[in-house]
Amino acid sequence: MTVSLSARNIVKRYGGVVALSGANLDVHSGEVVALIGANGSGKSTLSKIINGVVVLDGGQLLLDDKPIHFSSPQAAKKLGISTVFQELSLVPQMTVAENIWLTREPLRKAGFVDQKSVHARTVELLALFEGTYKIELHPDATVDSLPPDEKQIIEVLKAICFDPRLIILDEATASLDSRQVQRLFELVEQWKLQGKAIVFVSHRMEEIFRIADRFSVLRNGKTVGAGMMKDINERELVRLMVETVTATNVGQRHRLATKRSDEFPLRLQVEELKTEVLKGISLQLHDGELLGIGGLKGQGQRDLLLALFGDLPYLGKVKVSDELVHFKHPQQAIEKGIALVPGERSKEGLLFIRSILENLLIPSWKQYGFPLKMHKAHKDGSSISSTLQLKMESLDKEVSSLSGGNAQKIVIGKWLLRNPKLLLLDDPTKGVDVGTKAEFYKLLAELVEAGTAVLFYSSDDEELLGLCDRVLVMHDGKIHSELAGELLTKSNLVAASLGASNVSIE
Amino acid sequence: MNRQRWQSVSFRNPYLFALLLFLLALLVNFIFQPNLFQRSILNSNMRVFLPLILLASGQAVVILGGGIDISVGAIVSIINAILASQLGAGASAEKTLLVVVIALLVGMVAGSINGFFIAFLRLQPIITTYATSFLFAGIALYILPEPGGGVPLVISSFYRDTTPLGLPLGLYIILLILIAWYMTRQTRYGRYLYAVGGKPDAAYETGVPVNTVQFSTYVISGLMAALGGVAITLLTGSGNAQVGDALTLASITAVVIGGTALRGGVGGIAGAILGAIILGLFKNIISFANVDLWWQTFVNAAIIVLALAAPGVINLLRRKRI
Repeated sequence: MTVSLSARNIVKRYGGVVALSGANLDVHSGEVVALIGANGSGKSTLSKIINGVVVLDGGQLLLDDKPIHFSSPQAAKKLGISTVFQELSLVPQMTVAENIWLTREPLRKAGFVDQKSVHARTVELLALFEGTYKIELHPDATVDSLPPDEKQIIEVLKAICFDPRLIILDEATASLDSRQVQRLFELVEQWKLQGKAIVFVSHRMEEIFRIADRFSVLRNGKTVGAGMMKDINERELVRLMVETVTATNVGQRHRLATKRSDEFPLRLQVEELKTEVLKGISLQLHDGELLGIGGLKGQGQRDLLLALFGDLPYLGKVKVSDELVHFKHPQQAIEKGIALVPGERSKEGLLFIRSILENLLIPSWKQYGFPLKMHKAHKDGSSISSTLQLKMESLDKEVSSLSGGNAQKIVIGKWLLRNPKLLLLDDPTKGVDVGTKAEFYKLLAELVEAGTAVLFYSSDDEELLGLCDRVLVMHDGKIHSELAGELLTKSNLVAASLGASNVSIE
Repeated sequence: MNRQRWQSVSFRNPYLFALLLFLLALLVNFIFQPNLFQRSILNSNMRVFLPLILLASGQAVVILGGGIDISVGAIVSIINAILASQLGAGASAEKTLLVVVIALLVGMVAGSINGFFIAFLRLQPIITTYATSFLFAGIALYILPEPGGGVPLVISSFYRDTTPLGLPLGLYIILLILIAWYMTRQTRYGRYLYAVGGKPDAAYETGVPVNTVQFSTYVISGLMAALGGVAITLLTGSGNAQVGDALTLASITAVVIGGTALRGGVGGIAGAILGAIILGLFKNIISFANVDLWWQTFVNAAIIVLALAAPGVINLLRRKRI
């Protein structure tokens, strides 16, 4: 079996956002290529183009030196390209065997699925991970009933059941324990000997160095480096992922806290907070402090904010201003002066077809009695909008009439009437243009200056570096490291995001 | 039996509840009507139940695939209108066959219209089929503005009196449906259906032709509704362009009673058939107990509301526990 795939100058746009431009990848029989990049560098998009889930806008895919065009995952599978998806592609209601063989069921004559063969071959496949299951894994168990690591194993088995030539492992180790990872890597070695080609997408540096033969680094949708693993070390790899000349969105570094914030009282204390995703988070936040939360996407940052806002059940101790609390509903959190600013303003932050006034007053209508004192509401709305310096026709215009930047101000502005003590920000500047960001930072600075405590999750590393004095980097549901002062550098942030063990002063 | 096995057993036997309900309904019906198990009574019951059984089978396929078809009743009405207006009492055997075949094709075309909008234009199933149900109902009224027309006596008495080996004709039809369903489940299409209903994104990423499968479920439902229309026409022997109205809600209820989840991906046709029979028995009980007929509608609606609420209630309880 031989195979070679090369992706040349791949371009992919989503609407106006360029996800990939000039992405390249080469992979051949018998080797593992690690596809590496920071948040939003386009790794997932590139692997989805190779496996046919996403259709490319420009560039070329060559399989065995012949140009190929996919219109669907079926087409890619037919050519022997298989994927272990990060967000598993399993149907929870179906059994282990049904899931593994879906679309690849061995058939008898007349088109019936050969149950015996399905069962026997599933048992064979399950044996590959023998000894790593918590309890014996039965081919007829429904996938829903399995723990996350076993689901992940089923996803791997599903990808290899039809003996593919090229396997893409997209974060395949994320929920596996060390024994299971070990077994997977043994299998990868076997696949290499069989002449399969493997693309390994991972955030775990240690694993990349353990298993990969070559690497290819993406930055902002562009391939910026490739080579042999043996010729590079962790630090150089991180440097490749990080832009050398930072075309920073933040402008100059204007770290906000001018005073030492630990002179202020503690606003928030969290001890051993646990949810399905979080594995014990502890942190402290003072008034007038802007505490950053960093790390790769989906390491539990959103869960942390939602749990603190009473929107997600959790275990652990949370103290707000020295008072032990356990919010079961956002309403309770709001009453304690907590506000959450969600990331996707179109989905969670704003009611676009309703008026500016209504959007500004949504959390505060309670204060206006019954029937609503509309005159007072209008007055408060005007004062808030002048604080925010909203550029608008009138308060009664719908939010959709505002520019993106002005709309973004309302997401945060709607909490100001309640005078929040603790602001939880969930990646608030995602997909926001530079000018808007600048205004947003200004507003944030004023709030912090006024003594508001802010917990600020951002997927934009520049932003964290520019705004925060202290950043907690989350990895795999835990706080991997706390960066502050001299240690708070871009490369340390990226290295910590990837779970690298050592953080250093450059 | 370990945890996984038990979960998988209860997942695989969603018919348990339906079976218990069936036995209960049978018992109550028997108390009101001691001659229930006489051959002629059984036969007449099956005759009456059959149209809904056919509809519910089609509806089950759609719901398994993650959709819903609110236009089945209107399709029944169209078929009834076509048969009653085109045949009349004196049609020849050839003509009858031709018209029946055309009627079945019409049902599939109606299903294709639903399927096209839902699978390929990605419209919401519930809105789409609600809208097309008015379209179909309008066509039925256009074909047969006033109740009337009819079918040749020979055929309706064939439907009424054919009892091979002394068993009702309906039983054989149920058997046929079950065999067809059992065989379908053994094919790739059967697996695709469950996958598409269970998690369409995952199915797509795996390479399942999601659109085609969704489309097909509505064609199947259209065909089954047409067969139901033929059955109801043979049962009543006359035409009425509104005859199918009450059947839509009942078909969904039957599917739900039969253990098929409204969110798709879990359940099967056998349960839906059982559900249709249970609803038929309810109707018997209600008429024997001298209760107003609207109770039937009430019971149907209550069952659906409960089925819709169940997952939410379970979630709420789970949240409370943590």
